[in-house]
Amino acid sequence: MSRLSFRPRPLDIHKKLPIVKSVKDLDSDEGPGVSRTVHHNHIALDAENELVLSTPTRRGGAEIPTPQFVVVESYERDYTRSFNQPPSYLRGRGARSEATEFVEYDLDDEDEDWLLQLNAERRILSPERFEWMLYRLECMDHKARERTGGVPATQGVVVPVLLQREVAIDTLRPQISRQAVLTAVYDFWKSKRDRWQKPILRRLQPPPPVNDTNPFNVFRPREKVHRPHTRRMQRRENDVSSFEKLRQVRLNLEQSRNLILALQKREEKKRELMECEANLQRVQLRLKHDARLDDDGFLATNTSNSQPSRKFVPSKRGEDGHGLVQRYGSGVGAQDQIDGQGVGVRNPSEVPTASGDCIVGDQMDRLKHKRKRRRLPVPRGRPMRRIKVMDSLEPVLLFTKPLDSEKLAAAGINPPKEPSLENGLTASPYQFHGRIGRGGRIIFDRWNPLTRTPIGSSSVVPSPSTFRTSPTAERFHAPPPPRLDVHATTPLHSNNTPVAGVVEHTSSTNAPPP
Amino acid sequence: MGSLEEAGSMNGGSANVEGNGASLRESNGDGVIRDTLMEVEEEEKVKPGLKEPKTNGRVMAPPSATFCQENGNDNNSKRRKPPLPLEVGTRVLCRWRDDKLHPVKVIERRKLTSGPDDYQYYVHYTEFNRRLDEWVRLDQLELDSVETDADEKVEEKAGNLKMTRHQKRKIDETHVEEGHEDFDAASLREHEEFTKVKNISKIELGRYEIDTWYFSPFPPEYSDCNKLFFCEFCLSFMKRKEQLGRHMRKCDLKHPPGDEIYRNGSLSMFEVDGKKNKIYGQNLCYLAKLFLDHKTLYYDVDLFLFYILCECDDRGCHMVGYFSKEKHSEEGYNLACILTLPPYQRKGYGKFLIAFSYELSKKEGKVGTPERPLSDLGLLSYRGYWTRILLDILKKHRGNVSIKELSDMTAIKTEDVISTLQSLELIQYRKGQHVICADPKLLERHLKAAGRGGLDVDASKLIWTPYKEQGN
Repeated sequence: MSRLSFRPRPLDIHKKLPIVKSVKDLDSDEGPGVSRTVHHNHIALDAENELVLSTPTRRGGAEIPTPQFVVVESYERDYTRSFNQPPSYLRGRGARSEATEFVEYDLDDEDEDWLLQLNAERRILSPERFEWMLYRLECMDHKARERTGGVPATQGVVVPVLLQREVAIDTLRPQISRQAVLTAVYDFWKSKRDRWQKPILRRLQPPPPVNDTNPFNVFRPREKVHRPHTRRMQRRENDVSSFEKLRQVRLNLEQSRNLILALQKREEKKRELMECEANLQRVQLRLKHDARLDDDGFLATNTSNSQPSRKFVPSKRGEDGHGLVQRYGSGVGAQDQIDGQGVGVRNPSEVPTASGDCIVGDQMDRLKHKRKRRRLPVPRGRPMRRIKVMDSLEPVLLFTKPLDSEKLAAAGINPPKEPSLENGLTASPYQFHGRIGRGGRIIFDRWNPLTRTPIGSSSVVPSPSTFRTSPTAERFHAPPPPRLDVHATTPLHSNNTPVAGVVEHTSSTNAPPP
Repeated sequence: MGSLEEAGSMNGGSANVEGNGASLRESNGDGVIRDTLMEVEEEEKVKPGLKEPKTNGRVMAPPSATFCQENGNDNNSKRRKPPLPLEVGTRVLCRWRDDKLHPVKVIERRKLTSGPDDYQYYVHYTEFNRRLDEWVRLDQLELDSVETDADEKVEEKAGNLKMTRHQKRKIDETHVEEGHEDFDAASLREHEEFTKVKNISKIELGRYEIDTWYFSPFPPEYSDCNKLFFCEFCLSFMKRKEQLGRHMRKCDLKHPPGDEIYRNGSLSMFEVDGKKNKIYGQNLCYLAKLFLDHKTLYYDVDLFLFYILCECDDRGCHMVGYFSKEKHSEEGYNLACILTLPPYQRKGYGKFLIAFSYELSKKEGKVGTPERPLSDLGLLSYRGYWTRILLDILKKHRGNVSIKELSDMTAIKTEDVISTLQSLELIQYRKGQHVICADPKLLERHLKAAGRGGLDVDASKLIWTPYKEQGN
């Protein structure tokens, strides 16, 4: 087996490596030229360079030519032998700009040509003087700009001349006496500045914007923070801060996942609930049509009370819903089960339909208690509570809830007072039963749709004649329009007299006559 | 001093491949090459003083047997009289300063004022690096040899490295030599487009008038001139000699503006803070770019320190070369950009600069490495330095040694230690473990190939404290 098939082993930089002093030691058992590939970080970077190194004779041994240089003949004259190297190391001074007397500006071609014209044959202005003046103008203009705070941050913005002619000339006058020269130089400088649209002294020119990509613009300011352009930063850094960042990301993702899961659960529950309610409605519809049949069979079922109640319990659907659904849902279950057998199965709410006497209320209570008892071991808070709230006298209406007087009070709604206390008239016609209707509106019933009696007068003993009509009729056919909105109720209360249309008892008129 | 052997001789005295590779690093999304200063360019074989005048109207010898082989064969089939003026992109033979014909490609042309059909052509010698591109007159071109079709053969010969087709195409399109592959194609093209023609063809710097090598992004005010005059001390540049003369009379500098941190004989090293001497730093970058292809001046100089190597005499301290270094390198770089000016190349100054950068790292108590990628010659110089340093240790060392220990002794990063030893095949795998082969004869051979170490840095003469942010 070839040695080359060995997997190269990484080299441990901390491991002490033996130094072999003779090639023969290696040759004897390894043979020549066998070396393992050792990985190092620069291997990719240096790869192409390695190629160059390994092919040095590619160019056939010829010299690589470079552009040339010559010695400047005038050098010896141009530069004076005036430098004395001190015995100690030289120390740098501050930057040029701090040395005030040094004229940083050097005349360019344009300046020289202009000066030549100005001087003509005479010698009006020396180049050094001219240089100094331009330098002073630049500095003064820059100072003026600094005072106004208008120093542009980046290149490309026009840098206007701020220095006023009079100010400039006044400042320069002590050195240059001739007004004409001063004006001419100022005008020349001004026009040059206007053409350049930037300071002519390079130190004062603003740097290019950081995001400028023009390669001719150079020396952008750089902040250290801007380094993520390098390859290194694109890779993920393996340090504490990236670890923290990633951990934070993970935490956020987990939290949002939990949130989504909870949301999903809630929506599932809502759908279940909706299904139950829809089933309930279906059953109630059916009940409405079957109401007459039930009349006859009730007593029989009532005597063998245990049977239907036992059947409520295993009803799955009933247990899943809340109290209201429970009540009817169990009925549905029972109904479904029994229908085929032709056995009269009674929903507790139907009890009064068939009884036709005064035991209805008791019976309902009894049924309810029985169910309560049976339900006790079931560890569900919600149905239990609902059932407690339920009042047998209260009309059982889908989607409705009893009024919570505390909440009403908190919202500034006062229920209508007992009319009997206000005047001596008979109280019965003005007694109400409040509840929250479907859609959250507050409804005051003056008429118990279940017993079809005015509330407060004879709710306990329903009139058999009216009761014959299906109690479900009102539940499903109650006309929605004249319901009270929570806000709309307030004036009503102040009136203390419910408007007829508002009150649920109007719904009784919609009920089909027996 | 001039007799110092150049490092490049390790490859049979022929490895004078100038590093043009250098340091182009990433380009950002907008395709602009960012960052930096870095390149090793040095130790070229140059022929000082041999310069011929740039041959305007020079009498041309007829095309002769010195014809370039590859091209000569190819041309025969395609020879015909080309329409004038020549189109950009034309491939033709051109008489060079050695009086021989060399294949060139026309990069640009410009009209002359002398006549309606007089053009000058900016040509790239396909055999050579871009730095030799130049303006030539029509009579330097061998019109019989004009080819209109791209000559794939020459390109292939010029770049017979193992390359992907993509790389080949890239090179063909943009005319670059190897070492540029780190660019993506777009930024490479952009770089080439902007820098295809040297804007400044020569500079005068102190004693020397030097032909430039590459484009440098001088301010637009300098776009109309061919030659720049640099003050050799403050590096201000001007268009006319009289301006320089006037400047020299007032310039109060005789040495770089920073602190002298090393002096040994006539050799001094100055440290210049780019923030304190912004204009100097910028001038230096403008100047250096003329000799470094892929240095960019994208960012300002204030995050860098410049180490200027000078030869001192009674006229002042004359810059020989320099290297720059980031004040705070997150990546552990101890050198960003390095240049020996052409008149001083191949005298060992480059090795001195490299050695100096490691001496600074030792003072800082850190290991360091040059910013990557290196140009070919850059790596060559560095390899030579690393080889010399490491092998000297191995020669004397008794007992076992770990890579980390070698790194700590030399301030050379462990990766560089491994890659150096490995390239010399000194790390071997024997009986289940790595060993370092230090056969004296083998080491001597490698040391000889690595060339002389250049000028030595006398660490006792380095008076320097690592850079500290002021106020810290």
